[in-house]
Amino acid sequence: MTAPRTTPAPPAPPVSTPAPDVPVEPAPRPVVRARPRPFRARLSPYLLLVPALVPVAVALGWPLLRQFVISFQEYGLAQEFGQPAEWVGFDNYTALLSDPYVWGVIGRSIAFCLVNAALTMVVGVGLAVLLTRVGTAARTVLQVGLLLAWGTPVLATMTVWQWLFDSQYGVINWLLAGPLGAEGMRQHSWIIEPASFYFVATVIVVWMSVPFVVFSVYAGLLQVPDEVMEAAQLDGAGPWQRLRHLQLPMVKPVLMIVGLLQVIWDLRVFTQIYVLQRAGAPTRETHLLGTYIYSLSKEFSMAGAMATIMLVITLGLTVFYIRRMLREDV
Amino acid sequence: MSTAVPTRARGRRTGGAGRRALGALAVVLALVWVFPIYWMVSSAFLPTNRLRTSEPSFFPVDGTLSNFRRVFSDGTFFDAFRVSLAVTGITLVAAILFAFLAALAVSRFRFRGRKSFIVTILVVQMIPAEGLFISQYRLLDDWGLVNAVLGLTVVYVAAILPFTVWMLRGFVSGVPIELEEAAMCDGLSRTGAFFRITFPLLAPGLVAAGVYGFLQAWNEYTLALVVMTDPEQRTLPLWLQGMVEANKATDWGVIMAGATLISVPVIVFFLLVQKRMSAGLVAGAVKG
Amino acid sequence: MKRVRRGGLAALSVGMLLAVAACGGGEDDAAASGDEEITLWLAGSDTPQELRDYLVETFEAQNEGATLVIEEQDWNGLVPRLQTALASEDQTPDLVEIGNTQSPTFTNAGAFTDISDMVGDLGGDDLLQGFVEAGSVDSTVYAVPYYSGARAVFYRKDLFQAAGIQVPTTLEEFGAAAKALQAANPGGAPNFSGFWFPGQDWYNGIAWIYSAGGDLAEKDGDQWVGALSSPESQEGLAAVQDLFANATTAPRDADSAEPWIPFNNGEAAMFSAPTWARWSIDLPECNKGVDPEDESEAGKALLAEQQACNEEKTGIFPLPGNAAGEPATVFAGGSNIAIPAKSQNQDLAKSLLEIIFSEEYQTMLAENGLIPGNSSYADALGDDVYAQAALAAALDAKLTPPAERWAEVEGDRILEDFFQEIAGGADLAEASARADQLITETLN
Repeated sequence: MTAPRTTPAPPAPPVSTPAPDVPVEPAPRPVVRARPRPFRARLSPYLLLVPALVPVAVALGWPLLRQFVISFQEYGLAQEFGQPAEWVGFDNYTALLSDPYVWGVIGRSIAFCLVNAALTMVVGVGLAVLLTRVGTAARTVLQVGLLLAWGTPVLATMTVWQWLFDSQYGVINWLLAGPLGAEGMRQHSWIIEPASFYFVATVIVVWMSVPFVVFSVYAGLLQVPDEVMEAAQLDGAGPWQRLRHLQLPMVKPVLMIVGLLQVIWDLRVFTQIYVLQRAGAPTRETHLLGTYIYSLSKEFSMAGAMATIMLVITLGLTVFYIRRMLREDV
Repeated sequence: MSTAVPTRARGRRTGGAGRRALGALAVVLALVWVFPIYWMVSSAFLPTNRLRTSEPSFFPVDGTLSNFRRVFSDGTFFDAFRVSLAVTGITLVAAILFAFLAALAVSRFRFRGRKSFIVTILVVQMIPAEGLFISQYRLLDDWGLVNAVLGLTVVYVAAILPFTVWMLRGFVSGVPIELEEAAMCDGLSRTGAFFRITFPLLAPGLVAAGVYGFLQAWNEYTLALVVMTDPEQRTLPLWLQGMVEANKATDWGVIMAGATLISVPVIVFFLLVQKRMSAGLVAGAVKG
Repeated sequence: MKRVRRGGLAALSVGMLLAVAACGGGEDDAAASGDEEITLWLAGSDTPQELRDYLVETFEAQNEGATLVIEEQDWNGLVPRLQTALASEDQTPDLVEIGNTQSPTFTNAGAFTDISDMVGDLGGDDLLQGFVEAGSVDSTVYAVPYYSGARAVFYRKDLFQAAGIQVPTTLEEFGAAAKALQAANPGGAPNFSGFWFPGQDWYNGIAWIYSAGGDLAEKDGDQWVGALSSPESQEGLAAVQDLFANATTAPRDADSAEPWIPFNNGEAAMFSAPTWARWSIDLPECNKGVDPEDESEAGKALLAEQQACNEEKTGIFPLPGNAAGEPATVFAGGSNIAIPAKSQNQDLAKSLLEIIFSEEYQTMLAENGLIPGNSSYADALGDDVYAQAALAAALDAKLTPPAERWAEVEGDRILEDFFQEIAGGADLAEASARADQLITETLN
């Protein structure tokens, strides 16, 4: 019924096989034809954009703008209750950027972000490719498993992760100390040392983010037309070659988008770090940008300034990527 | 746990035995991935005094359904369920539709402001939004939309849209325009070519974006917390968090049972759209 | 044809958006109809239903045509909700319960109505003074105490007996008893604590600082400064470090949450918690395996038997102070109550506030095991051991410093980090100096 994508050459009639040069070279990116069009046609892209633009501009754009404006003021809870806000220029920014602790947080966050984004992408793409190569049953099992990790309320999953890594009653310590005989692990605290804390956080973050990558990349892989794959196979390309020279280049737009989003999201990772900190980690030594901003949140103007700084960092991390994407996109 | 996930050396083999081995690998990985969830479900069947003990209970032997019964004991779970369903449903339909149109515009048209739009949509996602809830609340308050499903929906749609546009744009441009043009040569109109050729190929992308949007709206907590203060307007995450007591022992068994039940619609939704996904694929393959 | 189709799609979606926006308008009209309605936000489920019913009935009887709606808000989400709702004239509740350590932030921000002129009628000097202080800016009162709960020590009678330990009568004896229990380990549990004292548990730990006469922060002119380095605080902290090292095996990465779990598992002889923790004690030897939702008579009887068994094996005493017969100065938790400045029903809110501070209602609070805001009604707590221990502990209890930005010290978890360092054997003077600096920076 649902012909798996990799079954060797079904008797499908290749009615109108597209461009003949597909097999090994990556297909050229879609070219948007610029033919002269009547006015109505020129108007239509804008009409298509309106429904998306209106809610984003109103319910997201305006608050973001306000956050930015506030970052140049002294603005706290008292201002919410009507006290006038005082303009302070770049004071909030200089206060933050002259604090060596803030730089420490920034450094840690960048490192954490890059490691996690890379791990997530590698594992995620690997699993997505795996999905294309297995039967329907195995595929559904893996998909549902991943979906559960992604879709279960975070309160519950984070509680369970805390239980698993608990020093007193955690299953992980129990397994290590009991059946595996590592007696020293009986009361081992996983989150009290920053390095170990980040290891646990990485496990959880990767666990939670991989499913999204898998679903997106797998969806991208499904877009690669069967005929193209079959043609390549007939030309003698093995599975690995087809993956490297055909599938991955064709899903590059998706890979780039997903990778970019991972960098953005992992830089502002909040929930997992916050919950683990509350589980008993030394807070000040384990802050990343997300939790640090949150700790500033009583001082709205400071949090706003930190948010702007984070935007600059994110842009810095991704500018190369964005430019490349835009260039290829035309 | 993640050490159990080999990431390379996959997809080199093919054919019957290799395929079966890969299938087995997929199932093993699924089990590894699902273990924390299994732990949650198993805890949902245990009385609270067996949740954290020196000897962990791997299987809910002599378990109890009491936690589940207590989830249903007052009607609050169903009330929250209804609110969540409404919020998620409206959000999803609006976000996917709007995003699809926008994605179409940016990947199939060239127009002035196109690049700025793409960059803006991207940059918006880079700004931490943790501090936005106060401004968003004020906005809804001015419109009289606090404690209203619609108010929450507007903000959710705005929050999900940048991502969905960005994502769908990738999928639309992933379909080579040559496919459409070839079809147009075969006599289809441009719109016809789009809907007959490209749209079916987009189904997986729409599903991926839909699953994302569904989960965001279904599980969102912070905004719902400030917007839905009326206990009758609680969404499921608020209901769940409400079970965590501050001045009383929290009954974790009930929370795990509640969370298990909250996850069920996610799976149902996925299995429903997944059928669509395969159907779309078949159609695409035939037409291609 | 094709363009029409596409334009049509766009038009359709715009239409939907408008439709979506249009149906938003009518939502809030319902509330405006009829007579006046005021809203009371209660935090958490601490106020029993019976008391809520009393408030509604009494309020509506006293204020013809007005209705009272009580909405319960979770403690976890209370602060963000107050940050948003209190600034909105349409959405603000008319009376709110707020945690006592959260209160200075809001009183200083101007979120509440000045009720200084009511304080005399509400109880004056009989009100719990620490809470009044937390609800005041200079001498203007904005929030008054609702109830308080204090901590007491739970212990296993059988383990005390087996180790030959008496209930301690001074703080020093308490430390000695905890260490002796730990060394004796009469139950033979592999990971036994004389006193369950996890590394981040500053809620319990500050009792030693307070009892030695120290404080967390002190006001110096118009500045708040960290006071952990004062000789008094250091004396208390030395005792704390000694307990961490010799009287507990509790993990350093745990806090005051759910201390009854190791106690129930036989891994701790004592723990300190608010007195409601009695309902969470569930010793295996007493457990009757009753389904918690079993409503049958037999089930209830079994549960009562189980509770009696647990309470028979468990004792409770207020943490003793420096001299025999006096309790230690422990940390008081509890809440304040205030009228939001933006409330449009100030008079009705005040009327409700008066009902809350009436003798009847204060007595009802006490009868339900909460120490009422007006301490002259605390006698109604009853005379069982739990009420007595709670009352003894509460008499000398103390709050966190009433600094405007104290909530940020808690938000930054400075004290959790600090106690964890001490539990790890850090140098007391150095760690205290660092923590003092952070506290000072945060408070000013």
